[in-house]
Amino acid sequence: MKKPLALLLSLLMLFSLAACGGGGNNQPASDGNQSTAAPSGDKNTGGEQTTVPELKGPGNVTLKRLGYNAAFDPNNDINADVLKQSTGYDVEYFMLPSENADEKLLMDISGGANYDSINISINQWRTLVSQGALQPLDDALEAYGQDVLAGNSENVWNALRGDDGHIYGVPYMYPHSHEIAAFMVARMDLLKAAGINEVPTTIDEFYDCLVTLKQHYGDEYVILAGPYLPNSEANENWVIPKTIACAFGIYNDWMVDENGKVYYMTEAPKFAEMVEFLTKLYNEGLIDPDWAINTESTLKEKFTSGKAIITCGNRALADFCSAALIENLNLSWDDLAYISALKGADGTCTYQSTEAIGWISCVPRSSENLADVVNWWNLRVKDQLFITIGEEGVHFNYDEDGEIEPINPIFAEERGNSYWYLDVTDQKAYEFQWPSRVRKSEGQWHSFSAVTMDADQSIFVPNTFAFMPAKENYAKYNTAIFNDLQDYITQVMSGTRTINDLDTFMSDWTNAGGESVRGDLQGWYDEFYK
Amino acid sequence: MKKKKSAGIALDASEKFVSGLAYVLMTLFALCAILPCLHVVSKAFSKGTYVTAGLVNFWPKGFQLETIQYILFQTDFFNALKNTLIVTGVGTLISLFTSITTAYPLSKPAFRGRKVITLLYVFSMVFFGGMIPAYMVVRMLGILDTYAAMILPFAIVQFNMFIVKNYFEGLPEIIEESARIDGAGDLRILVSIVCPMSTPVIATVALLYAINYWNNYFHAMMYTQSPSMQTLQVYLYNLIQSGSGYLENMAGGTLTTNITPEGLTAAAVTLSIIPIIALYPFVQRFLIKGITIGSVKG
Repeated sequence: MKKPLALLLSLLMLFSLAACGGGGNNQPASDGNQSTAAPSGDKNTGGEQTTVPELKGPGNVTLKRLGYNAAFDPNNDINADVLKQSTGYDVEYFMLPSENADEKLLMDISGGANYDSINISINQWRTLVSQGALQPLDDALEAYGQDVLAGNSENVWNALRGDDGHIYGVPYMYPHSHEIAAFMVARMDLLKAAGINEVPTTIDEFYDCLVTLKQHYGDEYVILAGPYLPNSEANENWVIPKTIACAFGIYNDWMVDENGKVYYMTEAPKFAEMVEFLTKLYNEGLIDPDWAINTESTLKEKFTSGKAIITCGNRALADFCSAALIENLNLSWDDLAYISALKGADGTCTYQSTEAIGWISCVPRSSENLADVVNWWNLRVKDQLFITIGEEGVHFNYDEDGEIEPINPIFAEERGNSYWYLDVTDQKAYEFQWPSRVRKSEGQWHSFSAVTMDADQSIFVPNTFAFMPAKENYAKYNTAIFNDLQDYITQVMSGTRTINDLDTFMSDWTNAGGESVRGDLQGWYDEFYK
Repeated sequence: MKKKKSAGIALDASEKFVSGLAYVLMTLFALCAILPCLHVVSKAFSKGTYVTAGLVNFWPKGFQLETIQYILFQTDFFNALKNTLIVTGVGTLISLFTSITTAYPLSKPAFRGRKVITLLYVFSMVFFGGMIPAYMVVRMLGILDTYAAMILPFAIVQFNMFIVKNYFEGLPEIIEESARIDGAGDLRILVSIVCPMSTPVIATVALLYAINYWNNYFHAMMYTQSPSMQTLQVYLYNLIQSGSGYLENMAGGTLTTNITPEGLTAAAVTLSIIPIIALYPFVQRFLIKGITIGSVKG
């Protein structure tokens, strides 16, 4: 139902843009007050000559910014005032709905909605680029966005170019490139009572830990609850805990070998071994018998009501669960421990880095304020610390290690929602500043500092496809084949299929578009990393 | 002492059994409807840590008002409620006006072109142009992101108009003829004679319109852009979808102790049903009548 609708909307937008495009070039609509700028760098291979409009400046223009959905009114939040104070620009903020956001965006843009800056997902951005709905930013960035340009790597900018070589967006990068985002939370009080004084760090220690707990507690507790499948992370939701997968050399659904050959998770040398390990845990009653049907909410319930000893989770889960455990079961922070990425039997561990483009900001062709939008972005990058974290002595202090320590509750009250307003950052600076946002919550910081801050940096492997734009076959088939894989693993764990069926699964996988997706990825990889 | 006679007809054993069974079944059905509501209300007033742990059933555990206060004073609840009340109130009045003024001439056999116009209404009731054309019309009218965008597309619901028309057709023609002899024109007859005689159908249709406007989520979401224009239904949906991320970005401490995503949603739902619950006892009879009214002539 959604695909025909998206197609119809795309056609509508093409028609609308053709009708009002004025000769089919990508020049911004303007008041005629423009000056021609020099063509930008080597990558700017497009045939068209772009122009840079003159700056109107703060006080002379009201910008309109569209962002993703949030549970507050960004026009009435204190961060809107902070941005006005810092940049001088008047800005009206709008939000996409939480449902049908793609359709609404296409209808708004095709309908000529006069947004100046839109903050959208990579897939939404790619759709708008392919429809010619966005203005090229190269020259405006050269003229007014030097801090924006300097704040991100060349790889990132290359990922934001259209087929004509122009830059059509600015990136908001995931703020921490080496985060162990998926881990396990453990009840250390119960581990200690069973004679386990240290959390496991290798896959063998982990297995022994589960066996010891089972021997000690029998069926009194669920030993390991999981998987953790929050609604918002698409293919990041794994039925196999990443904490375990990394011990078997598996860190993503698609990976690349040393020869540059793209391969699927099922083709990894230790895939079968990993599934057999999980099946063993299941058969020995070491993991939750409800593994196939658990949801985020049931997982939280099991852990915080004291029915489970260890649960799969992330920072958000650790935050809510720690509050509940401390309140409901009178535990202390010392009673909570975290199991990070486990090392394999051979001592190796591979965890994919979290370096990726989170959101992209761009300028629709209908905007007449390109120069001011880029200037606004640039002013915000310059004043990034004040805007996102606050003022030293008021919102934060530096601790003895030189790290930013937020002052609560003012930090949360006055900068809690600053994340929504971010369009682009100085990535390196933000990587240092951002942990303070985690630190404002004791529950999140307790887990983050234990798992990520103390992580062995050698385990991280690059996020190879971090900068890949949405490809047709990838967009069409990848979610479905990944879901099939998850179902297959669950079926093997529960005994309805066996790992010997892997050939049959791969045959089905090929028929379901697996090879087409591989073709997309291999093609992009060869081109991008040539 | 004289034994008091029981009123009504005496039931035999099998009838008593069926009657008892009916009571039991109806009680079970009623509980099926009430218990989920009670569960949501209980969550709204319970400590967040108990809500997260799934320890709240049908009575608040660790009673607290912080979540309710948070919804009322830290989120856009009142603005969304205001928007919904405006859209519902103004929309219902406009819809009543269009329905009555359309239904009245169409109810008159002497009205030329009556059948063709009626057919047009029936046709547009069966065949809808679709979401995109509707969006384009709203955009070209220049009413996107206004109350008008949430009202005018629903200014007349054909089904409701036909209910009114059928009711008007059942009114005695002779009363109108008397008024006409006394010198009243069409407008006077409609306002002073027909409408006062039609209060049951007007009340019923008003209620149907009000429910339609109150519950409208999809169009309110598609036709608005500013956060300040969101209605209660849009606000609730957004809170349910985005509330978790919102809380993650706020402080820990008491926030995650008392206020959790599940509690936040429960509190917002609880508050949003209060106006409907307060109004329902007064309009219930019209709602029931609405099913059959206008369907029988004479």
